[in-house]
Order: sequence, then C-alpha cells, then structure tokens
Amino acid sequence: MLPERYFMADIIALITIAVLFPLSLLYVSACDHLKGSRR
Amino acid sequence: MSLNGWLQIALFIAIILLLAKPMGSYMTRVFDRRRTWLDPVLVPCERLLYRLTGVDPNEEMRWTQYAVAMLVFSAATLILTYAIQRLQQFLPLNPQHLAAVAPDLAFNTAVSFTTNTNWQAYTPETTMSYLTQMLGLATHMFWSAAIGLALAIAFIRGIARREMKTLGNFWVDLTRGTLWVLLPISIVFAVALTSQGVIQNFHPYTTAKLVQPQTVTATGSDGKTTTTAVTTQTIAQGPVASQEAIKMLGTNGGGFFNANSAHPFENPTALSNFLQMLSIFLIPAGLTVTLGTMVGSPKHGWAVLAAMTILWFVGVFVCYWAEAQPNPLMHNVDQRASLTQSGGNMEGKEVRFGIVNSALFATVTTDASCGAVNSMHDSFTPLGGLVPLTNIMLGEIVFGGVGAGLYGMLVFVVIAVFIAGLMVGRTPEYLGKKIEAYDVQMAMLYLLIFPLIILGFAAVAVLMPNLGLSSLLNHGPHGLSEILYAYASATGNNGSAFAGSNWNTHWYNYSLGFAMFFGRFMMIIPMLAIAGNLAGKKIVPETAGTFPVTTPLFTVLLTSVIVIVGALTFFPALSLGPILEHLLLHAGHTF
Repeated sequence: MLPERYFMADIIALITIAVLFPLSLLYVSACDHLKGSRR
Repeated sequence: MSLNGWLQIALFIAIILLLAKPMGSYMTRVFDRRRTWLDPVLVPCERLLYRLTGVDPNEEMRWTQYAVAMLVFSAATLILTYAIQRLQQFLPLNPQHLAAVAPDLAFNTAVSFTTNTNWQAYTPETTMSYLTQMLGLATHMFWSAAIGLALAIAFIRGIARREMKTLGNFWVDLTRGTLWVLLPISIVFAVALTSQGVIQNFHPYTTAKLVQPQTVTATGSDGKTTTTAVTTQTIAQGPVASQEAIKMLGTNGGGFFNANSAHPFENPTALSNFLQMLSIFLIPAGLTVTLGTMVGSPKHGWAVLAAMTILWFVGVFVCYWAEAQPNPLMHNVDQRASLTQSGGNMEGKEVRFGIVNSALFATVTTDASCGAVNSMHDSFTPLGGLVPLTNIMLGEIVFGGVGAGLYGMLVFVVIAVFIAGLMVGRTPEYLGKKIEAYDVQMAMLYLLIFPLIILGFAAVAVLMPNLGLSSLLNHGPHGLSEILYAYASATGNNGSAFAGSNWNTHWYNYSLGFAMFFGRFMMIIPMLAIAGNLAGKKIVPETAGTFPVTTPLFTVLLTSVIVIVGALTFFPALSLGPILEHLLLHAGHTF
C-alpha cells in the first residue's frame, strides 16, 4: 500500500496540476483577447 | 589550450555545418508532407494512429487551437508520468524493488520531463525502476522534443503563410516529428552507442568484488565513530542506450545514471562523446535551413545560423580558455598541460575527456536546452562556469533546444527588425510582414517572463533561509551562482545543475517545478500568438527602406540584440555570483 502520509501530498500535487493547465488556457485566451481589443 | 583541442572544436562545428543542409531539407519534406524514403514504412503507421485517435490530418488549426491541443497533450502525459512514478512498486520491470517516488519529487520529475527540462532532483539508479525510466521518462523525451519541433514549424508557417488564420495541425506535426525525425535517428544512434559500449539490458544490478577493499570511517550524529570495511560494489545496469540516444538528440539531458554522460555506461569513449555532442546540435542546426527553405529565403536561414555560430564560438572560447587556466590557489601542484595530463582545472572532469571535451560539452549542452553533462559544472572555474550560466540566461537560442531554440531565436529576430525599423524611422518588416504593436507586445512578454521567473524565484530562495538556503552546501557568491543556475536551468528547460546543494526538498521540488512549467508554457503561448498574427498578414513589397534579413549586417544586429538583452537583464545578478567569485579567487578566497 502507498504510505498514508503521502495521500495529502498526492492530492496537493494533483490539484496543482489541475490548476496550472486551466490557468494556461486562460492565458491563451488573454493573449488572443489582447489582439482583439486592439482592433 | 592546445592545437589538438582547437582542431577537435573545429571538426565539431564543421560537421554540424555540413549536416545542417541535409537535415534541414529532410525536415522540410517531412513537415510539408512531401514524399520521403521512409514513407512506405511510416505512412501506414501514421494513418493507423490517426484512425485510432480520431484525428483528421487535413484539419487546420488557429494558433489558439494549436496551443490548446499542445496543453491538453502535455497535461495528459504529465499526469501519466506522475502516476507511473507513484505506482512503480506495483509495476513490472523493477528488479531492484524500488519504492514509489515521493509525491513532491514525482511532481517535480513529471513536470521536468514534460517540459523537456529533465531536471533530476533524484539519483536515477536508486529511485526509478526500468519501467519508469522507459515508459515514464524516455517517452517524454520523444514527446517533448516533438512538441518543440512542431511549435518551431508552426512559427515558420506563421512567417511563410499569407492572409491565413491557421498554423497547421498540432497532432500531425507531433506525429510526423516523432515518427519521421526523432524515432529513426534515435534507433540508428542507439545502435552506434551500443557499439561503443553503452549498455542495453534489463538485468538486476551486478555486485562486484573490489580488487582493493576500502575502509570507510564515519561519525554519527551521536558523536560515535564507526569503521566499515567495503569489499563489494553495486554496479547499476539497465536499458541505457535506447534512452541515451533520445536524451541527446531531443536535447533532453536526463541521464539514466546520476553521473549522466560522465558515466562510462552512458558515454564510454571519445567517439561516443563526440557523437553525443553532434546529436545535440543536429536538429537545431537543420531547423535554420528548414526556416530558410519554408519561408522562401534560404539566405535568411544561413544568416540565423551564422548568428548562432558566432555566439557558440564566443562561449566555447571563453569556457575552454578559463578551464585551461591553473587554479591560482594551488601553488605547489603541476597544472601544466603535457603529454601525460590535461593541465588546467581538472576538478570535476573525466580524465577520459580532458579540458577541451568538457568545456565544449558544457557549452553545447547549455547553448541548447539539453542539460546533459560529462563534467561537473559546479567545479568549473568562476569564468568557466559563467559560460553555461550565461548561455542559459540568453534563452538557449544558440542552436538551442529542438524547436525551442529556433522559435526563441525568431522572437529575437522580431525584436531585432523592430529595433532596426525604429532606427530608420520606418514600420519594421520581417520577410514582407509588417511588425506591429501586438507582435512586439507578445515578443516582449516572451522576453520578460523568462527573467521574471528566474530572478523572482531566486530572490525568494535567497531571502528565505529556511527554504532556499538550508540545503545549500556552498555559500558566498558560489552559493548564489548555484541558486541562480538552478532557477535559470529550470526556467530555460535546460536541466543541468551546478549541484552543490540538496535540491530534493519540498521547496525546491515545487518551486523548480513551477519554474519549469511557467518557463515552458508561458513562453510558448505568446510565441504562438505572434505566429498566428503573422500568418494572417499580407506580404508588402520590398522597398529601398526594407531592412534585409539575409546580410551580415542583420547577423551582427541580431547577435547584438541577444547579447544586450541578456546582459542588461542578468548582469547585476551575474556580477554578484560568478564575476565576484572570480575576483575573490584571485584575491585568495574560495567557496
């Protein structure tokens, strides 16, 4: 079995990954929006 | 420095320049979907992959779609690698019964290999099973390099296309880069490496009896001294050659063993060492020819290649010169070069490779975003160590990583033509495309994110003794250099280290993980935005006021912009690190 003390650390790592990628998608949208806002 | 050394350096760059054209022409054919001699074997594989994944190879993507596809693929493969590490004790091909990798280290390593960094805060032979190394790490070496290649091609299409909104299809570029470019060359290269003695097996580690048993005396935390007789040595084994080939060709750098390319099972001979250095620059050099061919201006590709070669030469000259100097604090040691020794600063270097092949390797691996090492950069002289650090801080655009080097260089080209336009008072143009406010905004975003991440994280590490300094083994300017190098290496997706610290701490695993992530994706996105914007522009006719991007003047301007931007950004930090250490060394202080 995986050590129990690692359970929370796993959750933190996976939440971090789950937050970083959607933030990157927002960043894509922001860069695209910046172009549109200049027209 | 010796004539022999300079001849080896000259031979290296001559072969790279000779290989640039055939490699570049081949990649042009691959990404233009023209016929190649590998088609009979690979086209059926490609079609099968598209059918299995439901990809329409004829669908074109806008830059935003291209970026989203790249992010989705990276996220999925990152989670896969994390899971493999965490579950490796239950998975096969683990003859040493290695335990699961700790979560913070698994996070750091998954981000590291997803982003083509290959920063290793662990000792591979005692941490990663064979399956983890092959399925979790080596696969990323292909994917992350193929993504870099795809992105560079997308940028080139952005320059070449007229009044179009799309940059190609990410899935097609990823597949073709892997199947046509990385995989075939890696197979040939892996066979060549095994011919030199690089191992390839699934054996459990070998236990060898020492010819000369050693006695080790250690003092424990309770103050008691214990003496142990060491009579055996464990020799790690594994499928090394298959990983070694893509490690170098894909400018990944993650070693199968902790000693990386200084380990005799990874890099046994002078020839394997030479081939490894060539393979780092092979694709990046070829991509300049691909650029010239695809945009219809071969001379532009050569001008970019010339700028890269000039910057490479300056780096290798300074590094070789610095490492060939004797250590001024070692008065009674013969450090002169002779027939029986390399002379100079041999600390941390393999006797097999000597000064020249260590300095050349260090320069090449940090010009590109490779990060493999055949000597310990931490043991270089302050000025010798300044070269790899500066190479990374310039953005690794001197040949650079697979794809990443070229698109980084093209962002500098946009800035260079913008500056040239400002100087003559005309709207800047790049190969017939007007460079406008949005392009420069995105280029500046690309250039500013890089130092912001490096200097920001390094500042926090230095100011928080419990986080950044507690695991540092060297202090003073050398300690600062180590921290700067770590964040520069992570953000630049290089992966080499100045060592000198235990990086396997919660703080460094997470902060370097974030630096690698932001250094990869926050820079790719504005770069793709520029490409997407350029693709939609009209071509304006060349006039007498157009700044030519095919001349030596352009090469000089581009080189100057790179040096000035790098110097202005990082000089204050470098002056407190390696430059101060150099001055103190000659005043009799060492760290």
